Amino acid sequence: MSAIDDLAGELSKLPGIGRKTALRLTYFLLKQRPEQSRRLADALTTLAERVRPCAECFNLTEEERCSVCRDQRRDRGVICAVEEASDIGAIERTGEYRGLYHVLGGRLSPLDGVMPEDLTIDRLIARVRGGEVREVILATNPSLEGEATALYVQRQLSGQADGVAVTRIARGLPVGGDLEYADGVTIAQALSARREM
Amino acid sequence: MEPAGPPAAPARVVLRRLAVRDFRNLQRVELAVPPDGLTVVGENGHGKTNLLESVYYLELLRSVRGARDADLVRFGAPGFHVAAEVDLPGEHRVASRAVGVGFERAGKRKRVRIDGAEVPRLSDALGALPSVIFSPGDVVLVAGSPSERRRYLDVALALTSRRYLAALQAYRGALVRRNAALRDAARTGRGEERATVWEPALAEHGAVLWTERRAWVRRHAGAFAALCAAIGERAPMRLRYATALEVDGEDSVEGARAALGAALAAKRPLDLRRGLTHAGPHRDDLDLALGGRELRLFGSAGQQRTAAIALRMLEAATLRDHVGSAPLFLLDDPFAELDARRAHAILALLGDAGLGQVLLVVPRASDVPEELTRLPRASIRDGVLDA
Ligand SMILES: [Zn+2]
Repeated sequence: MSAIDDLAGELSKLPGIGRKTALRLTYFLLKQRPEQSRRLADALTTLAERVRPCAECFNLTEEERCSVCRDQRRDRGVICAVEEASDIGAIERTGEYRGLYHVLGGRLSPLDGVMPEDLTIDRLIARVRGGEVREVILATNPSLEGEATALYVQRQLSGQADGVAVTRIARGLPVGGDLEYADGVTIAQALSARREM
Repeated sequence: MEPAGPPAAPARVVLRRLAVRDFRNLQRVELAVPPDGLTVVGENGHGKTNLLESVYYLELLRSVRGARDADLVRFGAPGFHVAAEVDLPGEHRVASRAVGVGFERAGKRKRVRIDGAEVPRLSDALGALPSVIFSPGDVVLVAGSPSERRRYLDVALALTSRRYLAALQAYRGALVRRNAALRDAARTGRGEERATVWEPALAEHGAVLWTERRAWVRRHAGAFAALCAAIGERAPMRLRYATALEVDGEDSVEGARAALGAALAAKRPLDLRRGLTHAGPHRDDLDLALGGRELRLFGSAGQQRTAAIALRMLEAATLRDHVGSAPLFLLDDPFAELDARRAHAILALLGDAGLGQVLLVVPRASDVPEELTRLPRASIRDGVLDA
């Protein structure tokens, strides 16, 4: 296999990149100055060698523990459990949350063979048993599988530590969305999660 | 005074143009359909049923015969495309709509466009061409397995209720996941909790299916008996929703949800042994009986056909109530195995209810019932339509 085929083959394994795009990217890189390709290669190597899961919460980090876990100003009494490390960025951007995280590493998906033991649920239970935690917020996606995962985690946590509240993020209409264009399921959920004003 | 407008046309869905490419044996069909409809004459195996299947594809976005999309592509072609221009009578004026569906064999991709814009989710385009199809194969609705009748209910209700459609998709999703989790629990011997976490979703969405199906059957049971009698059945025909679920008091989604949740828990030990979910609306049935005897087992061929046609007429009525106008009637040689008296009775009933535009396909010109001889004719041979 030639070097061109090698790179195109690797690129086409990336999400959203087909064979044609992979070849186009490969020829684009060939036309650039060699330093450009070297910088890309270095960045990829660094990524693979340095980035790893946080020993405490499984967020991605280049240290032993991630920047959130190391931040002494964060509230160590609250843990927000998410499916993927990429979900943390979305919550951090709001600037509203000051607690810690726990990355479950996916969601229950029996059709893909993803069972509870494939997620980091045991580690979450161990953290909660540690004694410092007052609340666990389950922030898995509001999908069929995300809901089942939240329910599973909630049931595993109940009875593990007294006085720990387990909460679920609310589902509902997106802000800036138009009621007219929301789908029926979302409207029904928003209605059932309504609150007094 | 305002000048009087043209006389109001009867409210019905009108298919004005149809274009089919590479669908089964239809290489290329371009057809302008007259307002009242069209009769297509063609021998069996030449593509007349395929033509109706292609039109109905715009309604269901899948094959009415249950074929896989890849198997609908004409041999050697990369994909198929079906497009139509449709008039839908609205409250104030007739709205025209262009609907197109394309399927690509290589990417297994299906694309729906309505008025040129791609529809992001297929379920949003379901029911784009309100139509109902009658064919001799419909007898399986009565003589076939319970799954045929559940499918009938699911199609009739999903096409006319967004809530039902959403619940059906979620229910099916939760069901396959619970079954996979049950099998995993049985294999690994690990806790059953992995199966139980799917039960709230099954109870929530299954309760919607159950209550909507029950309400539909209650609403239409009388009409079913009346239709069968009018077609010529002497003994009383009965339509009931057969279910193992018992709900206290009046039917309500909340009550059904609680009952279904309890039934799932009660059957769980059995489910864990068999790796299958035994409680829920996916096990229910439509109970069709003649004078108290199950029509599926004891009905004559003629009685079963009568009941099947009555079910299709109820489907048409359900669509009419939902759309506000008569759906397109796709008639696939529907009177082939009925005696002339029953055929006349059926056409009279369809006429009374306000027959919509008709696309009738028959093997021979002599098979066209008297009531429909006024329709313009076309013929089909080897997949080529001669209009
Ligand atoms: Zn961390």
